[in-house]
Amino acid sequence: MRRFWRHTRVRLLLLTRMWVRRWRSSLQVRVITSTLAIGLVTMGVLGGFLSDSIRDGLFDQRLEEVLDESARSTRQAQGTVDAAPASTQVQQLLVDLVEALQVGGSGERDVILQRPSGQGPVLDILLASDEQLVPLISDQLRIEVAEADGQRWQSVGIPTAAGIGPGVMVGSHVELPGSGRYELYYLYSFEPEQRTLRFVQGVLAAGAVALVALLGAMTWLVTRQTVSPVRSAARVAERLADGHLTERMAVHGQDEMATLARSFNEMAESLQEQIRRMEDLSTLQRRFVSDVSHELRTPLTTIRMAGEVLYASRDGLEPAAKRSAELLTTQLDRFEDLLADLLEISRFDAGAAMLDAERRDVRDVVAAAVDGALPLAAQKGTWLAVQVPDDPATADIDPRRVERVLRNLLVNAIEHAEGTSVEVTVAADSQAVAVLVRDHGVGMRPEEAQHVFDRFWRADPARARTTGGTGLGLAISLEDAHLHGGWLETWGRPGHGAAFRLTLPRRAGITLTSSPLPLVPQDEEREPQWTTPTSGPASLPDLDHLEVR
Amino acid sequence: MKGRVLVVDDDVALAEMIGIVLRSEGFDPVICPDGDEALGMFRATQPDLVLLDLMLPGKDGTEVCRLIRAESGVPIVMLTAKSDTVDVVLGLESGADDYISKPFKPKELVARVRARLRRSDEPTPEHLTIGDLEVDVTGHRVTRDGVAIPLTPLEFDLLVALARKPWQVFTREVLLERVWGYRHAADTRLVNVHVQRLRSKIEADPERPEIVVTVRGVGYKAGATTR
Repeated sequence: MRRFWRHTRVRLLLLTRMWVRRWRSSLQVRVITSTLAIGLVTMGVLGGFLSDSIRDGLFDQRLEEVLDESARSTRQAQGTVDAAPASTQVQQLLVDLVEALQVGGSGERDVILQRPSGQGPVLDILLASDEQLVPLISDQLRIEVAEADGQRWQSVGIPTAAGIGPGVMVGSHVELPGSGRYELYYLYSFEPEQRTLRFVQGVLAAGAVALVALLGAMTWLVTRQTVSPVRSAARVAERLADGHLTERMAVHGQDEMATLARSFNEMAESLQEQIRRMEDLSTLQRRFVSDVSHELRTPLTTIRMAGEVLYASRDGLEPAAKRSAELLTTQLDRFEDLLADLLEISRFDAGAAMLDAERRDVRDVVAAAVDGALPLAAQKGTWLAVQVPDDPATADIDPRRVERVLRNLLVNAIEHAEGTSVEVTVAADSQAVAVLVRDHGVGMRPEEAQHVFDRFWRADPARARTTGGTGLGLAISLEDAHLHGGWLETWGRPGHGAAFRLTLPRRAGITLTSSPLPLVPQDEEREPQWTTPTSGPASLPDLDHLEVR
Repeated sequence: MKGRVLVVDDDVALAEMIGIVLRSEGFDPVICPDGDEALGMFRATQPDLVLLDLMLPGKDGTEVCRLIRAESGVPIVMLTAKSDTVDVVLGLESGADDYISKPFKPKELVARVRARLRRSDEPTPEHLTIGDLEVDVTGHRVTRDGVAIPLTPLEFDLLVALARKPWQVFTREVLLERVWGYRHAADTRLVNVHVQRLRSKIEADPERPEIVVTVRGVGYKAGATTR
């Protein structure tokens, strides 16, 4: 039993929750429910009022009839009694009277005749057409009848086969010459009225139910007509938001819904147009950057070769011309680097960058990048400490891009290490390979770390560009990391150095959730720190004060 | 050795500059500014090497490349302003042996040209077999059942490099160094494209190579000798 209750409760709870969910999520459900609730309450109140009025009316009408009839019968009985010869046996007279009264009148009634209580032992007579009904006469009624002259009545319940039926007991009295007063009671059944009332109530209830059902159906229909275009608009809007710019609503007829659909479609149209224009502009601009970069290359090649020829023969030139030849050559290098980076960025922007992935041991790529950075490290007096795992750390990578990223990070670290050591750590787990490049140099403030991947961003504009970085190196590195589905993150504290962590998934299709290496060095963990989360592809990258190619 | 180099480039300044650099290095440059005239100039001058710009007025660079390749195995080095994969691969597939991306340094240019012009001067006659092929290194001939298979010098060098050490697997980087003369890691697509070209000439079924075998994740090796 307890289990049953628990089950029922749980089921009820679930049902309630489902309903609440639907209530919140569907306008139609809300409108229909409200309408039905209001309809039911109205019908209930109205039905109750009607049924009450009808009941009262029926009762009053029948009561009037009953009272008239009993008064008439009583007068008749009094007449009969008065006219009876004196010799007549009182007993016989009364029996005849009761029999006569019972069949008289408009319908079935029971008649009870008795001596008033406590009126002497002369003739404690009780005559009844049905003696079982005698207890229905209440003391209250008897007292009233005894005290009054006219008729008194009282509603009573009559026991029947099916239960208790409604009825009215009417009391009066007759004077028997010589024998005194007898109480005369008529019991009228109101069963027919009750049946009529029940029938009327049934009809009323059926009508109410039909009306409420009709109301519900109408509401459903109306809300459906209103809600379904709204739903379809919502669906189309969602598709638009997903980038299906050609999606449109169907327009039917001339009504408000059609106006909504038309306005909606106009909005979508103008939106599509705007987006297309922006895309065109953006494509045009990217094409332009790419074309400019390409077009610059041929004259740059000529200039570069001319510069080299001059540079090669600089020893035969005057000092001013010699220095000019040297400057020309070094600046051409910078110009070329910038052009190459610009072209690379434009390729990323155009979405034309492709991953040329192969399975490689990241340790080898790190070794190659470190080898490449050794000359700069030696020049800056910086130690490079490399820590790699014993097991191969293979991953599907584009070695050219990864090496470029690492080269950028290393050059950046060496540049900012200011003679302290730079540590390179490689680690791998089942999902990812990570390379952490850590320096102990000037470090970064939070707001610097935030911009470190921005294009052409410079931590300190006044800082000399000793390595002549292009300002695009870290931006390109971040793009390269994203192209692999990887992360490039940074951490830094002023005076405590900085760390850059490259995390790459080991296989294509792996979505990174964590990195095998902590970004924040353990000795810094308890102190205030600042890290940048991996920026999404939308927020572009890069540090300028860092890069060199 | 004073090699004659045909420079096909529509940019007069660049062509002249290349001419100056090549001349100073002891080469004999011939300049052709137009794609349509390139083939005539080639026939007339019989150069030892062709430097070819990919973007040319008149005939396209790749088209010129294909025409020259159709009648000669002369080394062709492309000059390209585009280092995008498609363009480079397109140029290589049309028969170029190597490419240089603009902007390049004179030293790079000279190194590329020298690498392509260098001849392996083997003092002793050398005879190799690879798969069912006979390779006469000194005579620069490859034969199958006595029938000569025409290969460009580069394809020949590639085949010889593999055939000399049939037990060794060559990575693409090593092949780049041995055959192309690159000292730094460069574009490994060069190797891929030329291996495909070589296979299409020497393999019975280029789809299922038996002479130049791919070793997945590493590189290439010579197939088993079948005779």
